[in-house]
Amino acid sequence: MKSAYLPPVLHVTPMTIVRRDRTLPVPGTVTARLNERVQAVDVIAEAETAPRHVFLDLARGLGVPAKEAPSHLVRQKGDRVEAGDTIAGPVGMARRTVRAPADGRVVAIEGHRVLFEVRGEPIGLRAGMPALVVGSDGTQTVTLEVTAALVQGVWGNGKQDFGVIRTLGSGPGARMQTDMLDINLRGAVLIGGTCDQAAPLHQATELMVRGIVLGSITSDLIPAAQRLNYPLMITEGFGVLPMNSAAYGLLTSNVGRDVAIDARPPADRYSYQRPEIIIPQPPSRQADFPEEIIPLKEGARVRILRAPFHGAVGVVRDLPNKAADFPSGLLARSANVEIEGLGNRMIPLANLEVIQ
Amino acid sequence: MMDLPNMVDAETLLAVDVGSVHTRASLFDVVDNQYRLVATGRSLSTATTPLLDISEGVRMAMDQIQTITGRRLLDEQDGLIMPSSSQGAGVDVFVATSSAGPRLRAVLVGLTPGVSLESGRRLATSSYLDVVEEIGLADRRREDERIDLILAARPDLILIVGGTDGGADESVLRLVEGVALAAGLRPAGHAPRVLYAGNRQLGAAIVERFADQSSVSLAPNVRPSLENEDLTSARNRMAEVIADLRSSKISGFDLVRQWSGGYVMLTADAFGRVIRHLSQTYEPRRGVLGVDLGASQTTIAAAFGGDLRLTVRTDLGLGAPLPSLLRTASMESITRWLPSDIADDVVRDYIFNKSLQPQTIPMEKDELHLEFALARQLLQTALGLARSGWPKGKNGRGSLLPPMEPILAGGGVLSRAPRPGYAALALLDSLQPTGITTLVLDPYGLTPALGAAAAVIPMVAVQVLESGSYVSLGTVVSPLGGGRTGRPVARVKLEREGQAALEGEVRLGQLVVLPLPQGEVGRLTLRPERGFDVGFGAYGKAGTLKVTGGAVGLIIDARGRPLALPKDAGRRRELNQKWLIDIGALQ
Repeated sequence: MKSAYLPPVLHVTPMTIVRRDRTLPVPGTVTARLNERVQAVDVIAEAETAPRHVFLDLARGLGVPAKEAPSHLVRQKGDRVEAGDTIAGPVGMARRTVRAPADGRVVAIEGHRVLFEVRGEPIGLRAGMPALVVGSDGTQTVTLEVTAALVQGVWGNGKQDFGVIRTLGSGPGARMQTDMLDINLRGAVLIGGTCDQAAPLHQATELMVRGIVLGSITSDLIPAAQRLNYPLMITEGFGVLPMNSAAYGLLTSNVGRDVAIDARPPADRYSYQRPEIIIPQPPSRQADFPEEIIPLKEGARVRILRAPFHGAVGVVRDLPNKAADFPSGLLARSANVEIEGLGNRMIPLANLEVIQ
Repeated sequence: MMDLPNMVDAETLLAVDVGSVHTRASLFDVVDNQYRLVATGRSLSTATTPLLDISEGVRMAMDQIQTITGRRLLDEQDGLIMPSSSQGAGVDVFVATSSAGPRLRAVLVGLTPGVSLESGRRLATSSYLDVVEEIGLADRRREDERIDLILAARPDLILIVGGTDGGADESVLRLVEGVALAAGLRPAGHAPRVLYAGNRQLGAAIVERFADQSSVSLAPNVRPSLENEDLTSARNRMAEVIADLRSSKISGFDLVRQWSGGYVMLTADAFGRVIRHLSQTYEPRRGVLGVDLGASQTTIAAAFGGDLRLTVRTDLGLGAPLPSLLRTASMESITRWLPSDIADDVVRDYIFNKSLQPQTIPMEKDELHLEFALARQLLQTALGLARSGWPKGKNGRGSLLPPMEPILAGGGVLSRAPRPGYAALALLDSLQPTGITTLVLDPYGLTPALGAAAAVIPMVAVQVLESGSYVSLGTVVSPLGGGRTGRPVARVKLEREGQAALEGEVRLGQLVVLPLPQGEVGRLTLRPERGFDVGFGAYGKAGTLKVTGGAVGLIIDARGRPLALPKDAGRRRELNQKWLIDIGALQ
C-alpha cells in the first residue's frame, strides 16, 4: 500500500453485501435474536429516552433531622418504582412519607438526599431494511446484513425510512418543482436532480413521501431540510449539481423496488458513514463485501468533487508523476481523467474519489 | 519506553506530523555542522475513516522520503530503522506530533466566573477541546438540572478548576459532588475522564470522589493564587489526557509512540513551543506571533518575553468546521475580501461543500480567491477571540495588534499559495500588523516538527528556522496614523549593495512593494510625516534600519490601521484586485 494514493471511496454498486450497525442513542435492550430475519419496520432494540433527574430531600419531606433521614429509606439504590410509591417513611404521627414523583428509579443516595431518575419515553430502534441479524452487544447495537445494491451520498438530514423507489422529473439534473409532485408518488422514495426552493420539499411532506434523493440542494435549504419529517439525501453537494450518472443510472434501474434510505448526516471524519440507499436483492454467491480502501490507479472509475466538473464521473487514464498546473495557479499531483461526454481532463488527485 | 539516543551522536532526525487531512514527514540531517531539512513527504491522513489508523499514513509519508532521498527508513517488516546504520539507512531521532482526532467534548467546572473559570476556559481553548458546558458557583441552575446538563453534554472530559492553593475547599468539593454523581450515571464504558487543576490540597479528595467512576488526572493549579495564573504545567498534563483520549479512538498511536520514545506531542503545543522559543531569542520588547490555519482548527500562538498565549479554535478551520464561521462572521465580512463578484449563495454553497470535502483544492481562480477570503476571515476571527489578555496595541488601542516580530504563518491554504503575494496579502489583511515586522511562511509545515524536536535536540529548531526551509515573505512596514487617502505618510529610501538607491514618497492608502529578494539585505530609511508612526517608537520619528528581503520584497503597507475597506462593493473589489497586483499575486 506504500506510495499509493488512497482517495476516498464512494460505493455505487449493483450487488454487494451490506453490513450495518444499528445503534440505540442510549443503552437499552436488544430484542432481535441472532440469525433472525427482520423486516425494515421491525423493532430490533428498545430503550428509554434521556431521563430527567430530581433530588428528593428526605429530611425536609419527612420532617426529621438530616442525620436521621437515611434510616427511614424503604428503597435502595437501583430500585425501580412507580409514581406515588413510597421511597422513605412513614414517619411520626402524621405518617409523613417521601413518594416517587413519577415512574422511575433511585439512582443515588447522598446523605439525606435521594437522586431520582424520572423514566424517559420509550423508543424503539427499527431495522430500517430487511436483513439478517448477524451480531449484537445485547444492550445498544445490532449488526444487520443484507445482499443489496448500494448507492452512497454526501449529506443527509438525519432521517431513515423504507419505501418504493420512483423517479421525479426527467433526468439527473431535473429541478424539483411542486407541479412534479402528484398523488401517484404518495409513500414513495423519490429520485430527482436538484432543488433550490423549499416549497416542493414541504409539499412532499403532504404526500407522505418516504424519502427524497437528489443530486443537490442549495445550502440555504439546509435548515428546512433538517426539519422535514422524511429522509432527504443528496449525492453531490450543495448548489445546483445534477446527480452523478452512476448513481442516477443505478437508482432509476431499480424503480418499483423497495429501498431503505438512511440519510445520516455527516458526523465527523472519524465516525463518518455516508448517507446511503440500500436496495435489497436476492442473496447471491457473487456478492462480496465492498472494498473500503482502493489505491488510485489507471482504469479506476472516479467522481470529481469540485468545480468545474463537480459530480462528473470518469475513468483515470494516466497518473503522471509531474504536477499539473491549473487556472487557479495551483500546482498539484493530478490524474488524467476521461470524463463522460467531456473528454480527457487533468484533475488534482485531491479532488477525486473512487467509485466502486 | 525506548531509550532516547545519545544526543551527541544524534544526526539524522525524522519528524512526523499527523493532521486530520494530511500526514507530513520531514527528514533533517547535519550539513556543515548545521541541521538542515533534507526532504519532506506528504500523504492523506489515515486517521479518519475507513482506516482510523494513523500508522498507514505515516508510513506512506515516510515512503515518499525514501523515494526522494534513496535513504531506507523502514525495514522489511515496515518498522523504523533506528538508530541509523553505517550504510546510511534509518534515523537517529524520531519525533511525532498530532492534531488528528475527533473533537473532544469537555465540561468545564470552576468556582468564580472572572477567576478560576476564566483560567479554565483559557486552558481548555489552548488545546483541542470543545467546551460544551460550563458550571460554576454563580450558576443559578438547580443541582439536578446541572446533572442533566452534564449527561446531555456527553463529555469526553470534565475539566475541574477552582480554589487557590490552600484556599477554598468546601465550595470546590460541593460543586464536585454533583459532577461526580453525573459522571457515575454515564453508561458503562462511557464515563468521562476527569482532569483536576484546582486547589492542590484537594487532589486526593477529588480522586476519591470519582474513585469507581472516572479516571482522574491531577494537574498543577491553574490559579495558585488570585493574582497568578499558571497554565503551562496544567497544559502539559492536559495534552497527555487528550492524547490518551484520542488514541483510544484511533489506532496507530502506539506504534508511533514507540518509535518516538513514548511521546506524541500535540501539534498546537509543539507549534507554541517554537513561538515561545523565538520570543526568548528575538528582541524582548516585541512579541512573536504564530498562526496556523488548518482544516480542523486554527491555532494562534503569541509569546511575549517567553510568556506563551496559545489558542486553538476547533470551531474555526478551512475544513469540516467551516460552516461555524457563519455563526461568528457575517457573509459580508467574508465577501469583502473578494477581488471579483461572487454571489452570496455561491459562497454559502462553497462553504458547505468544502466542509464535506476538506481535502479538495481550487482549480479555478474564483475559487482560489474565495478560499483566501475565507482564510482571511478565519484568521481575523480567531485572532479576535485569542487576544484577551494580550498587551494592548499601540496607544492602548485594543483593536490594533501589538508590535510583533516575526509573524510566522503555516497551514495548507497559505503554504500552497500559487504566488507568495497571496499569502502575504492574506496575512496583512487579516492580522493587520503595526510598525516593522517580518512575515515568515512555513511552506512545509515544519514548525510542529521543530517544536517536538527541540525537546530532544535543542539546537535543531534555531538552525532550521534560520536556514532556507522557511520562506521569508518580506519585511513589512505598517505605519500608524490617520487622515485622508492620498495624504503623504513617509519618505522612504532603500539602499542595496551594488544597486542604485530607491527613494520616494508613500501616501496613505498605498500598498508599496520594493524589490528586495530573499537572502538580500538593504538599508531602509524612513522619514514619516507628523502624525505617522512607522515603528521607531513615536509619531513623526525617523530612523534607519537594516532590512532583509523576502519572496515578495520589502512591503510598505500604508493602507491604514485598522484597515478600512470602501463601503461600495464595486470599489472594494477593484481595490482588492489592485492590492493583489501591487503585491505580486496577480499580474
